[in-house]
Amino acid sequence: MEIAYRPADRRLVLRYLGAAGWAPDAATAVLLDKAEALVRQAATPRGIWRPLPLAALDLQAAGGDLARHLQGCRSLVYMAATLGTGVDALLRRLEVTDIALCAAADATASAAIEPVCDAVEADARARVQAQGNFMTGRYSPGYGDCPLDLQAELCRALDTPRGIGLTVTPQKLLVPRKSVTAILGVADHPVAGARAGCAHCLLRETCAYRKRGTTCAN
Amino acid sequence: MRIEELFDRRRFIILDGGMGTQLQQCGLQPGQLPELAAFTMPRTLEAIHRDYAAAGADVLLANTFGINEKKLEGSGYRVEQAVAASVACARRAAAPSGALVALDIGPLGELLQPAGSLSFAEACRRFSVVVRAGAAAGADLIVIETMTDLYELKAALLAAKENSSLPVLASMSFESRGRTFTGCTVESFGITAAGLGAAAVGINCSLGPAEILPFAKRLCRVVPAGVPVFVKPNAGLPNPDGSYDLDAEGFAAAMQAYAASGVSIVGGCCGTTPGYIRRLKETFAPLVPAQKIPVRASRLCSPVRCVEVGGVTVVGERINPTGKKRLQQALREGDSAYACAQAVAQAEAGAELLDVNAGLPGIDEAATLERLVQQIQAVTDLPLQLDSTDPAALERALRVYNGKPVVNSVNGEQKSLDTILPLCKKYGAAVVGLTLDEHGIPPTAEGRLAIARRIAAAADAAGIPREDVYIDCLTLTVSAEQDAAAETLRALALCKRELGVRTVLGVSNISFGLPCRGYMNTAFLTLAMQAGLDLAIMNPNTPEMMAAVRAYRVLTGQDARCAAYVEAYAGQQLQTVAVASAAQGQPAAPAQGGDALAEAIRRGLKAEAGAAAAEALKTRAPLDLVNGSLIPALDAVGDGFEKGTLFLPQLLQAAAAAQAAFEAVKNAIAATAQGDAPARGRIVLATVKGDIHDIGKNIVRVILENYGYDVTDLGRDVAPETVVEAVRRTGAPLVGLSALMTTTVPSMEATIAALRAAGLPCRIMVGGAVLTPSYAEKIGADFYAKDAKASADIAKQVFAER
Repeated sequence: MEIAYRPADRRLVLRYLGAAGWAPDAATAVLLDKAEALVRQAATPRGIWRPLPLAALDLQAAGGDLARHLQGCRSLVYMAATLGTGVDALLRRLEVTDIALCAAADATASAAIEPVCDAVEADARARVQAQGNFMTGRYSPGYGDCPLDLQAELCRALDTPRGIGLTVTPQKLLVPRKSVTAILGVADHPVAGARAGCAHCLLRETCAYRKRGTTCAN
Repeated sequence: MRIEELFDRRRFIILDGGMGTQLQQCGLQPGQLPELAAFTMPRTLEAIHRDYAAAGADVLLANTFGINEKKLEGSGYRVEQAVAASVACARRAAAPSGALVALDIGPLGELLQPAGSLSFAEACRRFSVVVRAGAAAGADLIVIETMTDLYELKAALLAAKENSSLPVLASMSFESRGRTFTGCTVESFGITAAGLGAAAVGINCSLGPAEILPFAKRLCRVVPAGVPVFVKPNAGLPNPDGSYDLDAEGFAAAMQAYAASGVSIVGGCCGTTPGYIRRLKETFAPLVPAQKIPVRASRLCSPVRCVEVGGVTVVGERINPTGKKRLQQALREGDSAYACAQAVAQAEAGAELLDVNAGLPGIDEAATLERLVQQIQAVTDLPLQLDSTDPAALERALRVYNGKPVVNSVNGEQKSLDTILPLCKKYGAAVVGLTLDEHGIPPTAEGRLAIARRIAAAADAAGIPREDVYIDCLTLTVSAEQDAAAETLRALALCKRELGVRTVLGVSNISFGLPCRGYMNTAFLTLAMQAGLDLAIMNPNTPEMMAAVRAYRVLTGQDARCAAYVEAYAGQQLQTVAVASAAQGQPAAPAQGGDALAEAIRRGLKAEAGAAAAEALKTRAPLDLVNGSLIPALDAVGDGFEKGTLFLPQLLQAAAAAQAAFEAVKNAIAATAQGDAPARGRIVLATVKGDIHDIGKNIVRVILENYGYDVTDLGRDVAPETVVEAVRRTGAPLVGLSALMTTTVPSMEATIAALRAAGLPCRIMVGGAVLTPSYAEKIGADFYAKDAKASADIAKQVFAER
């Protein structure tokens, strides 16, 4: 489905730029506004979701963190969202002309995929709720101990190349780059899911949040 | 039926309907490969084909849509087996009615470079395997369908044409905005596919009959008379439950509108069944296709932009090493970034096409032109003019170009015509013909017309339509031959009138050897436009020339209500000479006792930094400026970043400003005879094989360049052997590798191992989101760089030790 573009959350953009919580100076504010306008112009946000039986997922291979997230669920929703190839082309262009604007646009696009995911999730949630069921939040390959290999499986199950033009490289990277796949659990009772936490996080050694005594979740 | 009937448009040809959705309905399980239905459910598959044939389908698409090496990996079947079984199954079902059987080819499921990591050559190779299997299996024709990437479609079409003699039907899927997922327009698809030799072009999947109709009409307008247009729409739009909103009756009714559209071949895609095709056949059996009337025009395209050359069109001339030392140096070093930046700058200045030339003594022109085309089409959507007289270079560039380019050039010599026109025909390119031959340039307009006539006739004979022929009557230097200018203009008007060709001139040649060349160029350009010039090869960064083009369009009624002119110049003021000299390139006012350049860098002001550097270079030596102002300013910003008083966006803006200053320094050095830039040492950078996220590496590159290092940036998705080769060639003592994802860190490890195995004495620094100091050590790196500043510190250390 086509999804209306919504602006990126500025706080998130700054976080992706390694400047969480900073009140940007005037020049940076101008830079971020410019990046936002360019990303908006280049983006063609699309999303897709599909209900699947629990058996569709090999929980053994998907890791313990995802299993915890799906505890008590009896079926699944797979979803995928993308900003489209136009954003990739924009970033390639900026890369050779203006590195500051390129980094700002890259971070803006990374943040702008969130509202797209929210819209896809909301669409799925409405259908799930209409059937009297409940749904967890999104859980993506790469979180915790969940392997990136799962990207390919999600894209295959959703037929994302045909549905939204989203493909996976042999190294399990999503193309277009500013894209997300996620798994949600569906249950007949309220479910919250479980965050991956820091235990299996690859970045636990170098994480700036942990050094400050917080986590990326708050 | 006979294959010729597909193309003679005497009656409507009926294609079959959905296959995937039919297989699912007949029990195909999720996770089961539909490509193997000929083995896993042969009776069901044959029954579906038979039902379509019985419903009236003239062509059955064998169940080969998703068959390719990658898809079948681990399935126990080879492409040849799967294709043979699938084609045989369709053939059995086709026997009673005599329907034709098509080898069906769908997307590979991976995006091609530069978006993804699949190379164009590898895509061609994978398609070739399928094509050869289909031809061997006895398919009557090839249908390439559901493509969303024009580049992939080109790979499939080339593979089909080069590995079989079967007719090829080519079809793409469009979204409701009239573009494919990758932004390809209907027109770009139509002219590119027809140019590459598709026997028919079409639109399938994604939308229903009503939504596709306007796009099909557009397609009918742009493809040549002999190329039929077909559609295979879905059964309407999808409902939330996955079904489609049109039943067989509704589908046939909606399809009726195509009878008058020029389309002559119809079928169905997802959600359609034999029932739909039966109603379709009943609807179209009594009808005759309406005439398809192509609108002949001179069109060139990239996937997302189709340029109709219907008046003066600006061709950027800057990517040509002749007389440009910076570009020569960049090409010699294998660095495409400078050319890419030139491409973007010309696009922003108003160029509509870009000329790309790699003719430089001492370099491999063919390899360089190919690489330039690939890199430039990754950063701009302007169609390209491939500029070479070497058939080998042209063929490589034509092969990898994504869209319909123009070749620059052939001339009146028989050898040139014989070698280059067939290439233009094969790859569907337009061509520039220079009015010169082995006897030189004829002095008179009539002499040049005679050569142009020969070129046009040769193009006719090669099957290149007249609207794709651009004649260059050749601009001669007015300071050397003053009468020649008028003769060139007369020749131009004459060729256009007599031959119905488009015209082209390299405008800037006129002023060679004269001061203030922009003035002379502008005047000549204006006269040439009035004489009927179509392609003006010029420098779009010259404001007065672009102004002449925009003004001309207003004065000749092409720019309705002066809209484009106003958009370009609203709010600008023309300055008188006295004001201009004072205002142009005004450096930031230096702080008391301070340094304007350092200040501009610290504040991240690009334009000011460039101007300040240019100003300072009038009195200071380049090296002094770099070491005395540029580097200390960067150090100060870097320190602030390290301490947490400055943030990444500020560091990057400072870096961009320093880059602008460095440009000025490099230009100053290139302008002197000394040659090389003040290099602190060579560093090779790469984002490793399989990884396409390279923003971090790019930031590192800019910072290192700021500090005066010569950076050889190999780009993203770089194979270990390419890194080894580059380090060996450059002798770089330091290599930086980046990898963003866990899945690509193994290729980083492999790259390090390859560098060590090659016995190269380089140090290796690594970085990337998922790397840690301990992991860096484990995979054999010498340094872990946590950010760009750290990489600059490492470089300083490494080069200080030497």
